[in-house]
Amino acid sequence: MTSPDGLVPVTVLGGYLGAGKTTLVNNLLTNNHGRRLAVLVNDFGAVNIDVDLIVSHDGDTISLKNGCVCCSISDALGESLDRVLALDPQPDQIVIEASGVADPAKIASYGYGWPGCRMDAVIVLADVETIQDKAKDQFVGELIIRQLRGADLVLVTKSDLVSEDALNSVICWAADIAAVPVTPVSHGDIDPKVVLDLSSFDLDAKWEPQTSHDADSIRSAEDMFETATLELSRPLDRSRLEEALALWPQDVMRVKGIVRFSEDCDCGAELHVVQRVGLRWSIEPTLPNTDLEDSGGRLMVVVRRAAVDATSLISGLVDG
Amino acid sequence: MADITVFLARQVRTMEASMPTAEAVAVRDGHIVEVGTLAAMTPWLDNYDHEVDDTFIDHVIMPGFIDPHLHPSMAAVLLPMEFTTVVEWDLPWSEIGAVNGRVELLDRLIELDADLEPEAPLFAWGHHPIWHGEIDRETLNEISATRPIIVWHRGYHSLIVNDACYRWMDIDLDAARRHPQIDVDKGAFFETGLGFAYRYMTSFLLGTERFRAGLDRMRQVIHHGGQTTIGDAAMGMYGFEEEWGHLKAVMERPDTPFRIQLMPFEMALGGEDDSDEAMIERVLSYPQRNTHRLRFSDHVKMFADGGFFAELLMLKPPGHLDGRHGEWMTPPERFEQVARSFWNAGLKIHVHCTGDLGVEMTLSTLEKLQWERPRFNHRFTFEHFGISSAQQVARMAEVGALASVNAYYVYELSRAFADHTLGYERASQMARLGSLERAGVRFAVHSDFTMAPAKPLNNAWVAANRLNEAGEVMCPNERASLDAALKAITSNAAYVLGLEDEIGSLRWGKQADFTILEADPYDVGAEGLRDIPIWGTVFEGEKFPI
Repeated sequence: MTSPDGLVPVTVLGGYLGAGKTTLVNNLLTNNHGRRLAVLVNDFGAVNIDVDLIVSHDGDTISLKNGCVCCSISDALGESLDRVLALDPQPDQIVIEASGVADPAKIASYGYGWPGCRMDAVIVLADVETIQDKAKDQFVGELIIRQLRGADLVLVTKSDLVSEDALNSVICWAADIAAVPVTPVSHGDIDPKVVLDLSSFDLDAKWEPQTSHDADSIRSAEDMFETATLELSRPLDRSRLEEALALWPQDVMRVKGIVRFSEDCDCGAELHVVQRVGLRWSIEPTLPNTDLEDSGGRLMVVVRRAAVDATSLISGLVDG
Repeated sequence: MADITVFLARQVRTMEASMPTAEAVAVRDGHIVEVGTLAAMTPWLDNYDHEVDDTFIDHVIMPGFIDPHLHPSMAAVLLPMEFTTVVEWDLPWSEIGAVNGRVELLDRLIELDADLEPEAPLFAWGHHPIWHGEIDRETLNEISATRPIIVWHRGYHSLIVNDACYRWMDIDLDAARRHPQIDVDKGAFFETGLGFAYRYMTSFLLGTERFRAGLDRMRQVIHHGGQTTIGDAAMGMYGFEEEWGHLKAVMERPDTPFRIQLMPFEMALGGEDDSDEAMIERVLSYPQRNTHRLRFSDHVKMFADGGFFAELLMLKPPGHLDGRHGEWMTPPERFEQVARSFWNAGLKIHVHCTGDLGVEMTLSTLEKLQWERPRFNHRFTFEHFGISSAQQVARMAEVGALASVNAYYVYELSRAFADHTLGYERASQMARLGSLERAGVRFAVHSDFTMAPAKPLNNAWVAANRLNEAGEVMCPNERASLDAALKAITSNAAYVLGLEDEIGSLRWGKQADFTILEADPYDVGAEGLRDIPIWGTVFEGEKFPI
């Protein structure tokens, strides 16, 4: 289940103390998303996992039955990264829980350039009840704003604790500052496809476009997002894809794909990995993939349900 | 051997208000039995076998100098390197001139390359773009195509390497290229990129042989500066048990003429994984390890904002000149929580704080703790104390705070920070010692070595003159008086470490620790402090010439 480029994607969870990072970490570690995560945490003592799910607890590392591990960032982050990259089998993805006073955009540089790693996304959490006060605090106000501005996606947490109006007002406020997609979450219950990299595992799986669920509980994680996958029978027009990646609205949370471009493009027939998290996107050449040898590739999107129609969004890339 | 040794001197400066000067100090078993005139000592001398030692008859005896805040481990990493800073260093094994300007730096690197044995990596510490301009991989390639060269920033902010170094590191260049804070073509690693570079260097830099050789150099440096007691303000930065082993092996020897008070580093950043109770229990258990020269006590270290040299101080408005931001090292809420646990356990808290917002956070925490549970004699100490206001100093006095100040900032950084970081008003008032003295806040000065030279007389000289490397006097109203500057390296430094009953001045019962000077600093005056030659020291009654 390695990613197309052979590098392990790194997701950084940022946000001030009490934003809900540990709750999300607990959820990611135990959620049935089928990925072997290595989660590096600052506050190892706060991680609280059902003993039934634990295979071993060895000093500063917890191994879970589902293949996930949780490690303490004991001394240097780099050493912790090396430690989990050396695991056999290698984790599918690394999640770094940044310290409450860290600038997550700085931590992200480890994801960009640590040997064996590739940056996935910076996800910043904001406590719906306290974030606006914290943003005015004389000691940390500037840091709170900087954390939000460093995010690719913002999660407004503990959304069940306030009224719909109050929640929306915080979401608008945060979206205004961060200028990236902002989405509510309660009890760390968020669709893993939003916070984790869409790996080749997802891309290889045969996705059926999902039909709409009962739309009553809009805050339930499964119902809030919709995923669609496009099988490409022929190469894509690169400029058309680039335009789409730049223009698709904030309701498109993530885009991931392996594609081939039409021959008029200089890049020839080699495969490319397409990625967009929030509004930041990239297209990078990648290694040949036997599974996709004969096809034009595959593209997958995660969108906010009801805001955008995922299927028509990606179909638009090949129409006409 | 006689029971009592009487040291005669041209002058004894006791740093005791009751009897500021004397002519003799009588010592038994490493401790002082009496200070005064030889004649007045008759009752002792009639009762015990004694000898009179007149080695110092032309010298001045001061209490042994104390630097309450430096870092032997950081020094152990750095001292095996070559120094190329814009200021001069007088180290026991060599006098290193100031390296000012790009041409001088390159010439120095060429010299060093010629002197070193082939293949050995050349680590040069002290580059700062403000003085040395930009250096890159190509520049260093021209100096050597075969020797790994590593140019380290003065404030540990960046490093620059050549191609031979890439080969020596066996670095993953593809990964380095993806890193936003590494410029592979320029050979430059910044901030988080440093962690990437260290990955390939730590096993070399922290190798036992090299590290212990570095610590041994540190041993010489401490003696050379005339110090008989130092405080290690963050013991265990590179691993507690490893450092403890190295310190015991290198420092706990009969020929080491000083003692080290150790503050453990591990809980300094908030202790993340441990409950506060567990941390406190651990702190209180460390003294069981104490050896003759290496001692833990009930002092603990905490961190507020980032480093001063690294310009990561947290500032109140108007902030940094160029709009950059500082860093909190501990989240303010966590800081308050841990400080409260330490405070309520009766521990003595030392807080690294560099900017006026860092001072504000620390001070408002202390005010809260004093309100909740008043304590006297708590020794809560503001460490470094870069930028502050006079109003903050007044509040520090109200709550009984102490300060341990890196006065040397004024010498090396005041002009550069005025131009590039803070503007003139704040830069000229960094390390506000005059205000502390006027407000009656007791203060020590420290070197934070290797941030400043481990030379107490030099630090006292900066404190009392505020002359910077550009030759300007910065904010004369913030100068310390000569007396306060000398107390800051003796009696008040002892007080900051909680050792005032044992060291810091000369009277009956104290350790016989002296620093022997060729001139009396009270005669020489503030201007000449740093030029007073040091004969050597006496540690627990035994002479150790330099």
